[in-house]
Amino acid sequence: MENNIVEDVQNARDEKEYSAGSAKGEDKDKEPRIIAFVCNWCTYNGADLAGTSRMKYAENVRVIKLPCTGRIDPLFVVEAFKKGAKGVLVSGCHPGDCHYTSGNYHSRRKYTAFRDLLSYLGVDINRVEFSWISASEGNKWVSVINEFTNKIKLLPDNSDIFSKK
Amino acid sequence: MEKMNDKLQKTAKELLENKEVNLIIGFTKGSNPLRMRSVFITDPDDVSKLSFNAHCVQDLAVFLKKPEVKKFGKVGLIVKGCDEKAVNTLIQEYQLSRDNIKIIGVECRGVVKQNLADKGEDSVKQSTVYDKCLVCEVHTPLLYDYLVESDEPAFEINGDIKPYAKIEELDAMSVEDRNMFWQKEFEKCIKCYACRQACPLCYCTRCIVEKNTPQWIETNIEETGNAQWNMIRAYHLSGRCIGCGECERACPVNIPLMLVNEKMARDVFEKFGYKSGVDINAKPVFGTFDANDFNEFIK
Repeated sequence: MENNIVEDVQNARDEKEYSAGSAKGEDKDKEPRIIAFVCNWCTYNGADLAGTSRMKYAENVRVIKLPCTGRIDPLFVVEAFKKGAKGVLVSGCHPGDCHYTSGNYHSRRKYTAFRDLLSYLGVDINRVEFSWISASEGNKWVSVINEFTNKIKLLPDNSDIFSKK
Repeated sequence: MEKMNDKLQKTAKELLENKEVNLIIGFTKGSNPLRMRSVFITDPDDVSKLSFNAHCVQDLAVFLKKPEVKKFGKVGLIVKGCDEKAVNTLIQEYQLSRDNIKIIGVECRGVVKQNLADKGEDSVKQSTVYDKCLVCEVHTPLLYDYLVESDEPAFEINGDIKPYAKIEELDAMSVEDRNMFWQKEFEKCIKCYACRQACPLCYCTRCIVEKNTPQWIETNIEETGNAQWNMIRAYHLSGRCIGCGECERACPVNIPLMLVNEKMARDVFEKFGYKSGVDINAKPVFGTFDANDFNEFIK
């Protein structure tokens, strides 16, 4: 008898969690996912500062830390799109502040060309964002993420050449 | 043409006899009179095979990346002006030593589109040459050790020519329409990588598409992978592509690859004032930077 109750409770709980989970899942589908590729030295610490300062910002963003913006290959952006991200943010140190002296300058050149290419091939350029955020700019991180998320939410649900049919 | 061939053969013979080069790469008559093919000459007695005319479409600089050619050491290369820019870029990118190559430049008056030549077209006219010939600024190669002058007159250009006119058309389209256009084009891709093989500047011994831990580019013939492949090739060639058009010519399903490459070349020139393959002492555009680079798109 006791066992049955335990089982029932367990089942009920599972059911509840399951339904809550699926409801969450639906929400997740509606909420656009944004991937942020950030550099280890500036933007990541900026985002960290926003967190430790208990600032609130849109929860759509998933942060991926890399050593430097110079390490963020445009293929990463494409990969994010392919995996279903609606927006991609690339963020690093301000010009002149790069931990490796010139990684962000090189990255800026690369992405200038890459943006043009993406747009030419029919990807909405509003889906890719770039920013320079230093370790002390927690509030800039918050505003960049919030603005970008709002922009992404307003975009029509178009497919691009990287999405599977 | 005869005078040109004579000079070409004489130059090649001298180079081989004096052991200044061990191999001459040039053009010879193909099986069809309106097709020219590449020829590799090591024996001075064979130079009579060398020939040049308006059907020499192939970019012979593509062979410089091959290990089979590299092992010859000093190589003599017969190139048109446009193809010579590929040699410049290879030197710029330390893929080739200037000391190891003798450039036999030929003055070119434009080459006939191969699909027209196959139907019997033999005249060099505005309507028969490739788009690149209409805007050619390098009828005489920029860099050469020996120059073989052309004895043909330049073809006339009448009216308002718009090579790669589709680029402006695409630029004016909406994002969705552009997406549709490229989706349709890339759908055809069969991933044969002929574009890469024909490209003189695709010299990586291990191409990004062959790297599989992780597999960045899907190798099956589906839209995702196709778009990725064509996009990443265009990206790797932006600021490097010299516009020889070999990728487009090699493509068995006729994807207009030059529309992407030419667009990127224009963009790079617009943003950084850089033209590829012009100066062997210039730094490659993405190998350098300027503190005042275009910054408008960054928050």
